[in-house]
Amino acid sequence: MSTKGRLALFLAIMGPGIVTAFADNDAGGIATYAAAGAKYGYALIFTMLVSTVLLAIAQEISARTGAVTGRGLSDLIRENFGVKWTFFAMSVLLIANLGTTVSEFSGIAASLEIFGVSKYFSVPLIALIIWWLVIRTDYGKIEKILLLLCLTFFSYVVSALIIHPPWTQVLSQAVTPTFAGTPDFLLMAIGVIGTTITPWGQFYVQASIVDKGITAKDYRYTRWDVLIGTFFTGFIAFFIIVATAATLFVNKIPIETAKDVALALEPLAGKYAGLLFGFGLLGASMLAAFVLPLSTAYAICEAFGFEHGISKPYKEAPVFFGLYSVLIFLGAAIVLWPGLSLYHVMLTTQVVNGVLLPPILIFMVLIASKRGIMGEYVNTKLFNIISWLFTFFLILLTLFLLISTLFPEFSSFLATGTQLMNYCFA
Amino acid sequence: MTLKVLGEFYFSQLQNKPIWNASGERIGRLLDMAMRWDSISPHVTVIKYSKELDALIPVEWIASWSNEGIHLNKAYDPRYLYPLHEDETFIGKWLLDKQIIDLKGSKLVRVNDISFSLVAQEDYQYMVMIAVDIGVRGLFRRLGIEFLLSRISNNFVSTQYIKPLESRTSALQLTREKEQMRRLHPADIADIIETMDYKQRASFLDTLDSQQAIDALAEMELDAQVEIFEQMDEDRASDILEEMPPDDAADILSELPAEKSEELLRLMETDDAEDVRELMQYEEDTAGALMTTEYIGLSLSLTAEEAINELRRLAPEAETIYYLFVVDEQETLKGVLSLRELIIARPDTLLKDLMHTKIVKVSPFDNHEKIADLFHKYGFLAVPVVSEQDKILGIITVDDVLELLMPERSRGEIYSTLFVRRYQPPAEEPAAKGGPSE
Repeated sequence: MSTKGRLALFLAIMGPGIVTAFADNDAGGIATYAAAGAKYGYALIFTMLVSTVLLAIAQEISARTGAVTGRGLSDLIRENFGVKWTFFAMSVLLIANLGTTVSEFSGIAASLEIFGVSKYFSVPLIALIIWWLVIRTDYGKIEKILLLLCLTFFSYVVSALIIHPPWTQVLSQAVTPTFAGTPDFLLMAIGVIGTTITPWGQFYVQASIVDKGITAKDYRYTRWDVLIGTFFTGFIAFFIIVATAATLFVNKIPIETAKDVALALEPLAGKYAGLLFGFGLLGASMLAAFVLPLSTAYAICEAFGFEHGISKPYKEAPVFFGLYSVLIFLGAAIVLWPGLSLYHVMLTTQVVNGVLLPPILIFMVLIASKRGIMGEYVNTKLFNIISWLFTFFLILLTLFLLISTLFPEFSSFLATGTQLMNYCFA
Repeated sequence: MTLKVLGEFYFSQLQNKPIWNASGERIGRLLDMAMRWDSISPHVTVIKYSKELDALIPVEWIASWSNEGIHLNKAYDPRYLYPLHEDETFIGKWLLDKQIIDLKGSKLVRVNDISFSLVAQEDYQYMVMIAVDIGVRGLFRRLGIEFLLSRISNNFVSTQYIKPLESRTSALQLTREKEQMRRLHPADIADIIETMDYKQRASFLDTLDSQQAIDALAEMELDAQVEIFEQMDEDRASDILEEMPPDDAADILSELPAEKSEELLRLMETDDAEDVRELMQYEEDTAGALMTTEYIGLSLSLTAEEAINELRRLAPEAETIYYLFVVDEQETLKGVLSLRELIIARPDTLLKDLMHTKIVKVSPFDNHEKIADLFHKYGFLAVPVVSEQDKILGIITVDDVLELLMPERSRGEIYSTLFVRRYQPPAEEPAAKGGPSE
């Protein structure tokens, strides 16, 4: 095939990986990376880079499974593990995605608050608009507009470059494993992983690859799509942490609201920093708020054999529309709870995502290593070892978090241990 | 001979239940059951209780079935277990949690549970597969919380109305399945195909005959058609394209990647490929891209009676027969007449005396809007497309134009959307084509 032909084919196939990558840097993502930078300086860059590599692995598995089988993840879980496991996996997905939807609405509320719009006005209105638009219009066009809004996040890259952070220190920290046993640090670390690799992101990338009709023979192009997407997730996350670390951490400014995150953009945009940040956050949150409830409803209905499809009348697919509507409106309602800190909602839901991720990963890896399903595209041995190590690492981290929260004295023990470890590494 | 029903069971209730030998020792659990589906009712032949495929217990060794477990009789001997025969299929592995076609509801459904009846006939007992459960209650039963839904009735599809996607049944059963598929409306088949994954599509399209496949494809949106052709085996794809109306084939081929469509055209019969190539050269937005070459052209010198005979010969291939086009030896369009005018004319009238010579015609380079306006203004069922020298190239029919006018329905980008259609017996011709309008 000619180079031109290949390029054309690649452009035709490209999309699912990149859209997922941008939706990955959603409200929760921005909040978590910013908090990581503001609170721990450059210390969590290492965790972020590792989780980006892991994201590439996870997305590659999902994309490959989608291309080879032509099926969604929930469909495969159902056919291979039966009703009970499917019920378990779908409960996990539902909880994680409800949480994430809440965080998207927090992002919408927070971004519009920057423009002076009360959340009691913006959230119900946007919830209605999203609910209505998804059912009534061509989502493809909306997606392009939202992706454009997301491009404003590149402003963090520019901002970080303007600040002139101590690059040698940044880079040396980026390759040094840093670890603290305190519940706060563990929470942050799990949050960073949980926001980078999400259960819904895995379901979503697989579903959109299936929907694009990509088959095993086009897979090599899809792999690039996924890898490029992952690179951008990590790229932007890296600069958000650097920008917030160099401005907020250095000046000891704690992040209390989403507005504070915008401070990191001041070197670039001056007094317009808030505006720039607001648009970006709105775009990212809306993008995810569009796809999340819908893809959750699809995954669950697909697994249990309920009628689904947005072009169906309500009467034919009550479960589908019910789930979809409940996710949107319940998600929006939780955000409106009086006295709730939007910023903390965004952070907490990322931790929930991180804790709920391992079960989904286990299903994914199990499926991708079955020769009967994957044929010649089955996971290689090395790949399997890496995937399992990663899964166990995440479970271990979750356990640490649980233990250190329940028994605070354990965390000081862990802290000494990790100090020793850090010492060894350094 | 009397049949007696001894009990009813669900697969979910039998699975993982203990198996005891004649002396009451527990020897294992029921992992799966295999059945033979050769006669009308599929029945269980062996049960699986270990991981090994050739260590199965034949049902003849079973003394009693119950929801607590299975008791074997004295014939059980672990040294003489049975292997799986070629005509036997594991039910749990093959059916449970899988998608099947519900031939009554004409759609793809998922099997939540399977129901069996234990039937006694003289001295023999048969465990017969009665139906698959596709309802929510079956789902809850699997989760062990069926009591929550005890007021909701079960949603069963009896075995004679199911078609598993992966055929593992005997040849006899396959012929019956094909017979049943023929009763599905092409629009339903189209819906079913669209919900399948690409591997299922490939094997499913193989079970359809070419005509069925074409009819079903004709019911799909262009996007879906293109996707299916992209994934289809090339030989099969070119066979189907040959049989399709050339304008539809041209639409699909021009949407495919250039190399793929070149390859398919090469595989097609030369005549068909040429027709399609001719249509493909026109820009997407023009009359040329919309027209079909399958029109009825009659010679000037024919009489009405001869024309009717000629029509009998040509009609099966043509897209519409309500408008007849009269041409000379150079295929120059000389006139038109309607089917009605031809039939009521005296048999010996010459076509040239019968035809209308004031003809509304379009150039292959006219745009869609102009054509739609023409149809709207004159209420035509078809319009001829002619070259600059008035040579007839093809016709555009009203249903092609209708497709243009229907607004694109909203669709969620990320998932394919499906129209739900109720089953309607296929009408001979749509009512709109009932008769000429002039």
